[in-house]
Amino acid sequence: MASPKTVPKDAQVMIQILKDMGITEYEPRVINQMLEFTYRYVTTIIEDAKIYATHAKKNIVDADDIRLAIQCRMDQSFTSPPPRDFLLEVARQKNQTPLPLIKPYTGPRLPPDRYCLTAPNYRLKSIQKKVSSSAGRITVPRLSIGAVSSRPSTPTLGTPSVQSVTTKVGTPVSLSGQRFSVQIPSSQTTASKSSTPSTPMVQNVLINPSLIGSKKILITTNMVSQNSASESLKRKHEDDDDYDAL
Amino acid sequence: MAAVQDGQHNLEVEKDIKTEITNDGSGNINANSSSPGSTSSGGKSKSPAGSGEDQQTLLAVLQFLKRNKLTESVDILRREAGLSADADDSPVSESAGAGSGGVPNVGADGGDANSLLSRVSIATPVAPPATAPPKVVAASGGEDQPDVNVVLSAYSQQGDPVMYPLYYNGLKKFIESVLDCHRAELSQVFYPLFVHMYLELVYNNHENEAKQFFEKFSGDQECYYEEDLRILSSMSKKEHMKGNETMLDFRTSKFVLRISRDSYQLLKRHLQERQNNQIWNIIQEHLYIDIFDGMPRSKSQIDAMSGSLAGEGKRDANKAKVFYGLLKEPEIEVPLDDEDEEAENEEGKPKKKKPKKDSMGSKSKKQDPNAPQQTRIPLPELKDSDKLDKIMNMKEATKKIRLGPDNLPSICFYSFLNAYQGLTAVDFTDDSSLIAGGFADSTVRVWSVTPKKLRRVKSAADLSNIDKESDDVLERIMDEKTASESKILYGHSGPVYGISFSPDRNYLLSSSEDGTVRLWSLQTFTCLVGYKGHNYPVWDTQFSPYGYYFISGGHDRVARLWATDHYQPLRMFAGHLADITCTRFHPNANYVATGSADRTIRLWDVLTGNCVRILTGHKGPIHSLAFSPNGKFMASGATDSRVLLWDVGHGLMVGELKGHTDTIYALKFSRDGEILASGSMDNTVKLWDTLKAFDDVELDDFTAATGHIHLPENSQELLLGTYMTKSTPVIHLHFTRRNLLLAAGAYNP
Repeated sequence: MASPKTVPKDAQVMIQILKDMGITEYEPRVINQMLEFTYRYVTTIIEDAKIYATHAKKNIVDADDIRLAIQCRMDQSFTSPPPRDFLLEVARQKNQTPLPLIKPYTGPRLPPDRYCLTAPNYRLKSIQKKVSSSAGRITVPRLSIGAVSSRPSTPTLGTPSVQSVTTKVGTPVSLSGQRFSVQIPSSQTTASKSSTPSTPMVQNVLINPSLIGSKKILITTNMVSQNSASESLKRKHEDDDDYDAL
Repeated sequence: MAAVQDGQHNLEVEKDIKTEITNDGSGNINANSSSPGSTSSGGKSKSPAGSGEDQQTLLAVLQFLKRNKLTESVDILRREAGLSADADDSPVSESAGAGSGGVPNVGADGGDANSLLSRVSIATPVAPPATAPPKVVAASGGEDQPDVNVVLSAYSQQGDPVMYPLYYNGLKKFIESVLDCHRAELSQVFYPLFVHMYLELVYNNHENEAKQFFEKFSGDQECYYEEDLRILSSMSKKEHMKGNETMLDFRTSKFVLRISRDSYQLLKRHLQERQNNQIWNIIQEHLYIDIFDGMPRSKSQIDAMSGSLAGEGKRDANKAKVFYGLLKEPEIEVPLDDEDEEAENEEGKPKKKKPKKDSMGSKSKKQDPNAPQQTRIPLPELKDSDKLDKIMNMKEATKKIRLGPDNLPSICFYSFLNAYQGLTAVDFTDDSSLIAGGFADSTVRVWSVTPKKLRRVKSAADLSNIDKESDDVLERIMDEKTASESKILYGHSGPVYGISFSPDRNYLLSSSEDGTVRLWSLQTFTCLVGYKGHNYPVWDTQFSPYGYYFISGGHDRVARLWATDHYQPLRMFAGHLADITCTRFHPNANYVATGSADRTIRLWDVLTGNCVRILTGHKGPIHSLAFSPNGKFMASGATDSRVLLWDVGHGLMVGELKGHTDTIYALKFSRDGEILASGSMDNTVKLWDTLKAFDDVELDDFTAATGHIHLPENSQELLLGTYMTKSTPVIHLHFTRRNLLLAAGAYNP
């Protein structure tokens, strides 16, 4: 512990506060963190109070302004849990409904899809490229992974301009898409064949917790190659037999 | 000025007879000693009450009703308006208490109302002093008072803060003078009275008086209330109180005391005969005295049960019937041909081909009266994979080691290295094949304990290619490329405080400081659902023993019951006064136990959402709970370093295990309930003999009725072993199916 001579007065005050509150063991960095918080909080309050004072056409900031500033900040950042009587009332209402019966044999029991995080949070944009008949060219669609909330999450799989195929499977819901399976025609289709990807398959096993703003986006998907004339080199064995329907 | 003089005269008369002061805040201090002359007119300008005009008018109405002796209306109005019973009561109670007295009292009372009226009528000449004592008319002079409403409200709110220390002292002297057997019981009154008086002073903006009161009497309180007192000392203004929900709840809820009838009579007589009506009012308002007939309790008995923020549990709170038995195991036919034969061949011992279900079904042919009905709450039916799991379970159970005082379990400790004190939660699967750790950096990591690695399920395209009819289809769906020892799950935005595996090992739950509970799939190792409902940190979560349901409890003082396929909770368990720190299901999934920072444990019924048990006795926030495998008993550990044992059926404390020196974060009963393992921050694991602890308990009707157990001081005998780690606090304990004890903690050099 630094000698009192070298410890600034603010820090000494903070040490005393911690002692008064009964906190005896703490890392030395805690004092700095507390001081930073105090400084930030106080300046925010005073700035807000200044704004209120000028709004009220006063020259000086007085106690009322500060009080108002504190109250507004308190409602905004430092909320406290709801009061007990409110909770009791809500609980009473909720506890009156009987427990729902469980449907048998329904696979993984999850809420409706819009409440799950199981939808893809990306949308595939098409690249406007001329369709060439040469096989072997893979157009990798650009993934636009952005703020999910700002665009509908239905992936629109566009193929090259000739065939504008937008498969809108499912209705555009803003935050969470429907689960869908879209099949993309496999390597054989040539340019001429207008692939009606009525059953295109996106090989993605989606996921992500992007709805709340997560740290990472897991994309366990293989890139979708959609040039109908191309062959996907990365494409795994796809049995053509399966896509007779196409 | 005749009116004013009369008023002053009346003031003087009152003072001689009662100690109540009847003027506004400014004149308070000197009113006792000096002449009242300065008070009635001069002091009016200063208005201490600042709760708004509504409050003031409300109080004016209250005074009006009191003046007209409409006591019932007074009560109703006070209750509905939620006013504090301060000096509001004094005129009423004095008129009631002194009603039996003689004329002088009545006169004083009349004089009191009189002076009050003088102020009422002076400022609001329209207010008709209809049935007031005759002197009033004389008092309604023409003096102009600046703000009588303010005066009124000041009068009614204060109740005389300067007198509080005197009242308290008076009570203290009285209690010290009673018989020994009553003293312990009556001493229970000190703490709640102290806190409520202090909060009254703070709430009514008497900061200085509050501080003096606190300094004078806080040292007298019991040592285990020290934490609360420290929090109280930091609250000296009304605004401070507003931010602290716990203290507000404390103020509005009733502190429960259990006192024998004799002691109660003593107290009541003393308080009602003297002018200590103030204390009597506070007691009536804020304390709930649960009277029982019988011997007064001793200090040690009281100490054992007290310590919680809301006093003890009321007797009728613990009377509801609790079905603590276990649900019947479904009868599973063990296929004896394939699996048993393989096992037998391995072991080389021929076994009799007795169908295993006999051993399960026979003992529970008739319904256990203490067990809930099978259909009391809807439970998911068993899938084939569940049945296979159960068979594995039973097979392993046959190889279970029988533990006892002479056969202690081996302990295998899993230390998390390089966690940098970020390990906040740990869980094991029931078959002990996976460990999950929740960290302060908001990640969840899953490790495989067995040599078998963790694999993800293949992607959808690949899945369509595998042969679905093959025998090892469950192996084929796994993607070998993703095999690894551990997997990291990202998704939370705050430290992960609670973790729970589902019984079928398909799902993992994690609860975090960001207010959400997340469900992860252990087949794809991705997040499936985020359950939002708590908007505040969720401190603990657990799956039910049968899967499908789970509970979570957090800072908002509410525990919620969810089902995995509902995005909103099914039940909300509200009632605790402070954060819920620990939530556990009963083995029969019909009850939920929650331990809280208000030092109580509550048992809730899943079917109705009602609280069926309130268990007090801990002196610190409760951090760990464990049910015994037979469902009858429960163990709890808290920051006061004690483990308490409870009988769930009766709602009584049956044992106390002392020995640890720091918070107990992990508690687990062995598979048959013979041994209780406890792990704590003091880097030890201790094993306790529970068979002996529960055998010693004799519960006869009397104790069951009154709830007084004399706890034997046998912690030393019950302690079977202490095992120390190298500076690793023990966070989690788990008994494998063969009764090997696994422990987990983060190495903290």
